[in-house]
Amino acid sequence: MKNLLEIKDLHAKIGDKEILKGINLTIKQGEVHAIMGRNGSGKSTLSAVLAGNENYIVTQGSIQFTDQKGTTYNLLEMSPEERSWAGVFLGFQYPVEIPGVTNVNFMKTAVNEHRKQRGLEALSAAEYLKMMREKMAIVQMDPSFSSRGVNVGFSGGEKKRNEIFQMAMLNPSLAILDETDSGLDVDALRIVANGVNRLKTKDNAFVVITHYQRLLDYIVPDIVHILYKGKIVKTAGKELALEIEQKGYDEFE
Amino acid sequence: MDKLKIIDIDKEIFSCSVPLENAQKAYILNGVLMSGKEDIRGVQMVSEKKSITIETKENNFLQIINVRENAVLRRGEEYCIEIKANALKEEKSTIVLCSHTLGDERFSTKGKINIVVEKECGLELIIMQNENGVSVHNVDIDIEIKYGGSLKLNIITLHGGHITNTINSVLLEEQAECDLGGLYLSDREQVINTNVNVLHKVGGGISRQLFKGILDGNSKTNFNGKIVVSPQAQKTEAYQANNNLLISDRAKATSNPHLIIYADDVKCSHGATIGTIGDEELFYMRSRGISLYEAKLLQQQAFAGAVLEKIEKKELKERLIGLVERRLRGESIHCQGCSTRCC
Repeated sequence: MKNLLEIKDLHAKIGDKEILKGINLTIKQGEVHAIMGRNGSGKSTLSAVLAGNENYIVTQGSIQFTDQKGTTYNLLEMSPEERSWAGVFLGFQYPVEIPGVTNVNFMKTAVNEHRKQRGLEALSAAEYLKMMREKMAIVQMDPSFSSRGVNVGFSGGEKKRNEIFQMAMLNPSLAILDETDSGLDVDALRIVANGVNRLKTKDNAFVVITHYQRLLDYIVPDIVHILYKGKIVKTAGKELALEIEQKGYDEFE
Repeated sequence: MDKLKIIDIDKEIFSCSVPLENAQKAYILNGVLMSGKEDIRGVQMVSEKKSITIETKENNFLQIINVRENAVLRRGEEYCIEIKANALKEEKSTIVLCSHTLGDERFSTKGKINIVVEKECGLELIIMQNENGVSVHNVDIDIEIKYGGSLKLNIITLHGGHITNTINSVLLEEQAECDLGGLYLSDREQVINTNVNVLHKVGGGISRQLFKGILDGNSKTNFNGKIVVSPQAQKTEAYQANNNLLISDRAKATSNPHLIIYADDVKCSHGATIGTIGDEELFYMRSRGISLYEAKLLQQQAFAGAVLEKIEKKELKERLIGLVERRLRGESIHCQGCSTRCC
């Protein structure tokens, strides 16, 4: 299987504080990676840097991304929207509320911008609606959410379902899910995880960032990484997640 | 009394193709009423020199196209529109007043709009201003609302040179309701001023104000909003909000909210904000593949939406939402089929 993402010696800071201190990570098509670590280990920074959040400054290293057509990009030179068009998706830990912009308008604009980049015409209202209903069903989202402001007044679970719905609409080749399990009860967790599993193919890949092993019962990873103080300190199979659940992160102190 | 002139709209330069079904149209050129193609059925319009009187009946829908041009206008010349809302609230009338300029010369006009809302009557007035970028336009709107009367006024300023809209609204008798809204979009060297004075003379009335501005370029806007609640105006509800969104770091918005309350049993509030588009929202949208340009546009449309949503006539609301989008995209915003050189 082809490499989708190759991160080499990645260093990043916010303000004067260096958070990522030399990350190396390769992700291939069809793989599910889990990145685990304590608060402050750099998990969310890594996802923000991958999506192109300008609050974080990359001081060293490279990120290469290869899209479905086999074109390789230097991700660090791309704007957040260009990364999205190339096939990178970030599921936010704290999805942002955008009052006044309806979910339907938001996603329609996003889908049509993706289509424009591929030289396709904008979807008609009917085509969009059909697609939206299909994808909403994947996460059991009520169609009434489409006319509400993006994430406005959504519960924690509804926000996370909305993230997975958006992912389904955009069909990325690499999805990074930043603590998608936080704030979810067991039922919502199952719905979100089922959504992810249904979207998994042999061509795409997922990076699941989490504190807890719980989510990994539902989204089973091929590879588990432990992030500690800005570096990946251990990489193993899915059994590593169970080990962490029992022993904690103390052994990496 | 001026004789009403019949003009052939098809040949006229300010023919308007806005699809407002059942709307009766009237044209005013430099303060003088020209009749439309159809009769102004059900609406009494009387033109006396430069004063036009409109008396609304049940469910009238009237579009007035108010065009000014420099050719005949002397500096400081006025137009005056008197509106008497005489239809009951349940059968209230809607008046759309489109304010345009012909040509791109610089000139100055004063306008006066007097509105009286009769007992238990209602009126929705929408003023759309789309004018050239150099002219001065001062509009004074005086409102009197009688017992149980209800007025809804929204001013949508799409483009203009130096526009000052002054609203003086008096809730004259009890149970009066006054809902004022405004959306001003300013760009380049434009100046848009909004002065609002709401006076609650007696109790039991409700007034609401929602004025929002989106400022680009070197433009400046001023909002001066005042609510006065008289000592005898107990059980008054009065709300005021002014929100401004700065798109350019050279634009300047000023907001002066005032609340003067002499009664002690009232519900009143005011709020003023001046801000920019949030980085977090922009990043979220961009991470979904919405370009920076479109993301900013969506945010501006959302911001403007709160005022546009107040417009009750659906076809009118949709038309204005479309015009606002085109204006925010920097496109020419002549209505289709119209050749007034608004900007």
